[in-house]
Amino acid sequence: MLSYKQNPDPSGLHSRRCMNRKKDKGFEICINNINFQRKSVIGYVELTIFPTVMNLNRIKLNSKQCRIYRVRVNDLEAPFIYNDPTLEVCHHESKQRNLNYFSSAYTAAVSAVDPDAGNGELSIKVPSELWKQGDEMKVMKVYIEFSLDQPKGGLHFVVPDVDGSMAERAAHVFSFGNQNSTRFWFPCVDSYSELCTWKLEFTVDASMVAVSCGDLVETVYTHDMRKKTFHYMLPIPTAAPNISLAVGPFEILVDPYMHEVTHFCLPQLLPLLKQTMSYLHEIFEFYEEILTCRYPYSCFKTVFVDEAYVQVSSYASMSIFSTNLLHSGMIIDQTPVTRRCLAQALAQQFFGCFISRMSWSDEWVLKGISGYIYGLYLKKTFGVNEYRHWIKEELDKIVEYELKMGGVLLHPTFSGGKEKDNPTPHLHFSIRHPHTLSWEYYKMFQCKAHLVMRLIENRISMEFMLQVFNKLLSLASTASSQKYQSHMWSQMLVSTSGFLKSISNVSGKDIGPLIKQWVDQSGVVKFFGSFAFNRKRNVLELEIRQDYTSSGTQKYVGPIKVTVQELDGSFNHTLQIEENSLKHDIPCHSKSRRNKKKKIPLMNGEEVDMDLSAMDADSPLLWIRIDPDMSILRKVEFEQADFMWQYQLRFERDVVAQEEAISALEIFPTPASRLALTDILEQDQCFYKVRIQACFCLAKIANSMMSTWTGPPAMKSLFTRMFCCKSCPNIVKTNNFINFQSYFLQKTMPVAMALLRDVQNLCPKEVLNFILDLIKYNDNRKNKFSDNYYRAELIDALTNSLTPAISINNEVRTVDNLNTDVRLILEEITRFLNMEKLLPSYRNTITVSCLRAIRMLQKNGHIPSDPSLFKSYAQYGHFVDVRIAALEAVIDYTRVDRSSSELQWLLDLVQNDPVHYIRHEILSMLAKNPPFTKAADSLLCNEALVDQLWKLMNSGTCHDWRLRCDAVNLYYTLFGLTRPSCLPLPELGLVLNLKEKKAVLNPTIKSEQGPGGPEYRPSSQPNFENRLTFPTQEEEDIDMDTVHDSQAFIYHHLNMLERPSTPDITLFQLFALIFTGKEPSSVEQAMLSMPGTPMPTLSKESTSSKHGDHHHHHHHHEHKKKKKKHKHKHKHKHKHESKDKDRDSHAFSNSPASGRSIRSPSLSD
Amino acid sequence: MADSVVMGSGSLNSGSRSGSSKTSTSPTDNYQLARRRTLQVVVSSLLTECGFESAEKAAMETLTEMMQSYITEVGRCAKATCEHTARSTPTLSDVVITLVEMGFNVDTLPVYAKRSQRMVITAPPITNASVVPKALIAGQKRTHPTYIPSHFPEFPDPHTYIKTPTFREPVSDYQVVREKAASQRRDVERALTRFMAKTGETESLFKDDISAFPLIAAKPSAIPYLSALLPSELELQTLEETDSSEQDDQTDTENNSSNVSQDDQTDTENNSSNVSQDDQSADKENVVLPPGGVVPTGKANEENMIDNPYLRLVKKHKGRRKKLKFIY
Repeated sequence: MLSYKQNPDPSGLHSRRCMNRKKDKGFEICINNINFQRKSVIGYVELTIFPTVMNLNRIKLNSKQCRIYRVRVNDLEAPFIYNDPTLEVCHHESKQRNLNYFSSAYTAAVSAVDPDAGNGELSIKVPSELWKQGDEMKVMKVYIEFSLDQPKGGLHFVVPDVDGSMAERAAHVFSFGNQNSTRFWFPCVDSYSELCTWKLEFTVDASMVAVSCGDLVETVYTHDMRKKTFHYMLPIPTAAPNISLAVGPFEILVDPYMHEVTHFCLPQLLPLLKQTMSYLHEIFEFYEEILTCRYPYSCFKTVFVDEAYVQVSSYASMSIFSTNLLHSGMIIDQTPVTRRCLAQALAQQFFGCFISRMSWSDEWVLKGISGYIYGLYLKKTFGVNEYRHWIKEELDKIVEYELKMGGVLLHPTFSGGKEKDNPTPHLHFSIRHPHTLSWEYYKMFQCKAHLVMRLIENRISMEFMLQVFNKLLSLASTASSQKYQSHMWSQMLVSTSGFLKSISNVSGKDIGPLIKQWVDQSGVVKFFGSFAFNRKRNVLELEIRQDYTSSGTQKYVGPIKVTVQELDGSFNHTLQIEENSLKHDIPCHSKSRRNKKKKIPLMNGEEVDMDLSAMDADSPLLWIRIDPDMSILRKVEFEQADFMWQYQLRFERDVVAQEEAISALEIFPTPASRLALTDILEQDQCFYKVRIQACFCLAKIANSMMSTWTGPPAMKSLFTRMFCCKSCPNIVKTNNFINFQSYFLQKTMPVAMALLRDVQNLCPKEVLNFILDLIKYNDNRKNKFSDNYYRAELIDALTNSLTPAISINNEVRTVDNLNTDVRLILEEITRFLNMEKLLPSYRNTITVSCLRAIRMLQKNGHIPSDPSLFKSYAQYGHFVDVRIAALEAVIDYTRVDRSSSELQWLLDLVQNDPVHYIRHEILSMLAKNPPFTKAADSLLCNEALVDQLWKLMNSGTCHDWRLRCDAVNLYYTLFGLTRPSCLPLPELGLVLNLKEKKAVLNPTIKSEQGPGGPEYRPSSQPNFENRLTFPTQEEEDIDMDTVHDSQAFIYHHLNMLERPSTPDITLFQLFALIFTGKEPSSVEQAMLSMPGTPMPTLSKESTSSKHGDHHHHHHHHEHKKKKKKHKHKHKHKHKHESKDKDRDSHAFSNSPASGRSIRSPSLSD
Repeated sequence: MADSVVMGSGSLNSGSRSGSSKTSTSPTDNYQLARRRTLQVVVSSLLTECGFESAEKAAMETLTEMMQSYITEVGRCAKATCEHTARSTPTLSDVVITLVEMGFNVDTLPVYAKRSQRMVITAPPITNASVVPKALIAGQKRTHPTYIPSHFPEFPDPHTYIKTPTFREPVSDYQVVREKAASQRRDVERALTRFMAKTGETESLFKDDISAFPLIAAKPSAIPYLSALLPSELELQTLEETDSSEQDDQTDTENNSSNVSQDDQTDTENNSSNVSQDDQSADKENVVLPPGGVVPTGKANEENMIDNPYLRLVKKHKGRRKKLKFIY
């Protein structure tokens, strides 16, 4: 079909290995058995490869956790090696415990199987008969039979434990993963830049539906009519990571507006699906209109699954969502959230699935564009206020993250391979691969990417921006229809340079400096602004300073917009931020002093009356804003007088300005601030999120003004006026949530009011009774909408009202000495929580709030602190939101009570819980609320914990990239980058550097630590160090690596299978037998390290030294073989594999494929 | 009356049958026993009139049986005669005709009745039929409409099936109403949850007093998302009450989706998708429509165009597929 497209090397680090380049252009997957009972999958794949180089003798593919039965190349049995260094990052015998070491080892391991660099876990030897053909660059077909048994990653089986058939039980399975994770469920080239066409076949139970990418060509019954085969064709070239699958007894809904769009949900949820999907067509229309491009695929499918890995994941022509996004028409709060998720998914269909990326460092373009057009959708659907609010929120998020954790780099370039060149030395992980990134960082990365796209839009205008997108899409769709020239397909891959070129072609503008500042460089800008008005010169003297020395910041040079609202109107000034100029003089327009009666013109042309009595009589300045359009990724701390903030809040129409003013007013607790905030609260033209923010600010101000506060508690009379009955002001009206703005306000005000405190620092009795009355009189019978979120927030309000209990002599908390107010609160919570069992609320919001309230009661010492309740709610089988809330409480308990048993319980859950999302959340919540940190000593910090966590990230999380990075994050939070302080002093070790033939001090030993007892490291250690620190390009070394790693891999598996050590020895002997009579050439290397191994060690250690020994044989053999003995090598490798397979066949003797592997031709020859 | 005799004879058999096995105390049995006894008294007095001093039990029984048969026959014939003339109640003349038919000289009867030596038998004590106490009449009973014969039972009191009028002034004060509704609901909820907590497993916040704030134990469910996502029945009910338009919408879409047919092609499609889903739960209401005749509505023309691969017919397996040979 197609030929080869050269893929630019993303990093320059990995030199291309000539033996190894190939292109797969046609891909066929067939999964012919999915067993829900055993959670297993059997199938085969067939790749069509067009060799692009001479001497293609080895093909590397990605494959994880698949059991491979046989590999054939053009119908000839081909030997193969399966070797995955990421299974165990640092080898078991290592006593290294510092994170720097781990991170570099992990990066190296991921690089070693990186498909973009031509690597892979599965190495297939092309049969020698085909070499000639390969030289002629003829098509090769690689056929691989594989199975998956109880996959821990890649595919997730949900099999509820109830009676009935699998369909009745709503059992389903779906693919998932972080970035390119398709290798977890079938062997492939798991790269976003390797495009090919697809043919997919899935045979499933007749009661099930298999949903996958592309067009469903036909569905065929099997002979016995008990199963159906779904045949899919995806003619648009697509990368393997964009392929997905979902199988289950789904209910099918054809979109009533677009018949080529089909929605799938689990049984019984169809009414919710109808409701949820009723507006999808609007999103489609919007994107197609702005991009002036039709949706690229001929069909679209949405599948809603339980226990989803992420809320939204997009694949070619289909998206998989969490079933928890479905909602009925009665639910208010979830609706916009779900719409946003759908919009995100659809944006990624264009940029991310249809258009893929050239390399990992181009990811920002895809995430940026999809995030940017999603923002345009938000602007259109939810309004400009919502959009600007969102942009501010995102900007605040990224600024906060970068200032805290260090910069986020969108377009990393990796020159050389040395550690010194790490573009992000401040991070405890490498950003070289998507799989080494912390999840939090990746989220921030996406956030920054779309903000930068918006900056580009600011520079070149939206029109040009959309033209660029259109150009990318139309080039790609032309390319996708070209079936016979695969070099055309590169148009479907976006690269940073290609994108920038498009921009300059379309707009004719040079955005180089912008890209350099925000894309090639990490960090945000931190401005401090202050001003003085010079009356004599009638000039505003503005001073803008920058902090560009702290972590996560960068220096900004360039234009900045300043808006000054004067009495005579609003004026924009563009100042130039230069190297050394801090002060800027801005001439003022308003010469004359205020002319009473005159209206004041605003930026938007509106003219308003203002009460000017508050302002400084000498100054015409009402307020000043720096960078009002957020066209710099920055944080601005600006000083202006309180009355100026108040004017800004009341009269500036931009929601961002209003929000900035509200945050600034927190430090001005004056009656004037109070009045300004109350006015905003009452103004129903004002954006509801601004009003919500004003509630909380008002509560803070009221607390600061406690002694001078007059009148009823803040917001009480306002709430009464807005939401209570006219005739009896203590009773709230029956609920009517038809006006969403006031609904959100009604929900929020009690929560903010509960934060009020009196002189004793207690929540005022009046407020508490008020909230209790709201709960009592809450009446939803006449409401069209559900009040579950409202009731949940009323419980949150009760939680907010709690203050620490007065404890006398640490007495035990009993029912009798319960505070009367707390007793009332507790009664409400008990009733709510119990009612929830009988009439559960949507997403169990009430249970979630109750659990938080109970934890707060415990934490404040009102009731005995006890995690058992939370632990029961955290069990598998509760709704996921409830579990998360319960786990959060357990994590908080673990920190406060320093409980090692609870920490252990949590870590066990991380290893054993069936839901991936829960595992991920436990680790990230632990990292956010850690039981201890590196800064302080803790009893919890001990060697066993270090070992456990190390094991977790080293090998325990190899099936989930995200989880492994979470574990790394937690390890970093707890122990930092260096060796944990609770560990005993490390042994002094010499590391033998084989390459330079000299010994160096063990890098684990840091200078601050004293020397330990002299002891040498085990022999394999130096090899490993050597390999990591000095990756070499010689083939010898590469081969050595491979073998070394496969050795570790086998060892690891044997360990996992818990087999006695004898088979291990037989394995070893087998090798020895084959290689007898050969003189190891590198024997001196082995000899060098051997004496270092202490003799009286554990048996484990001695096994490992055997491995070291064995490795050298192996190495030697590899070395020799390079010259001539190809056949010999085959034999050896196959022995090696089949040995492994023989073991497997014990366990899977009933599998048809396993029997065949014994009859492998390579064994018989 | 003759009626009762006929019925009596019918029930007599059963009564004697049951009487033979055991003494029964049911009212019918009592009635039969009383009648029998009365007849025996009559027979005895007749015998005494004729000059007998004693009689064998068997003879007595036979005579009583004959007497009873005779009276029964008179009754039966009298009824037949009266019904023959399209009446329902026998008159004296009916009885006379009957007696004549049976060969009895009616003229002798007055003489016999006025004979001097006849014995007077005291009437059997009449037990007052237990009077059903009259129910309290509340309100005006409805009279029968014209098409209901008057012998049909009367309507019951209106309060039992129309409404119960109360005579207390309804509370209309808003505050009190709300107050009452709130506390009522709260009481119900509290009582219900307490009950549930008492009858099931609980968790407690206090170790010293487990009963203080009982929490119903959290039980994991196999499919937790169902209860968390689907609206509860209560909410659905509220929705129906407050808003019927939305429901209309829903039925509307259902109609849309089920009006997929008209031409043959789509018909087969429908059938096929039905086939494909036969195995799935039957309660699924779906895009798929029943295979039977569907009346197309106005929107159907548009719907005809639906050609979604997931609604298409599942094909039968045709021969061995080439690529499958690798596996099997």
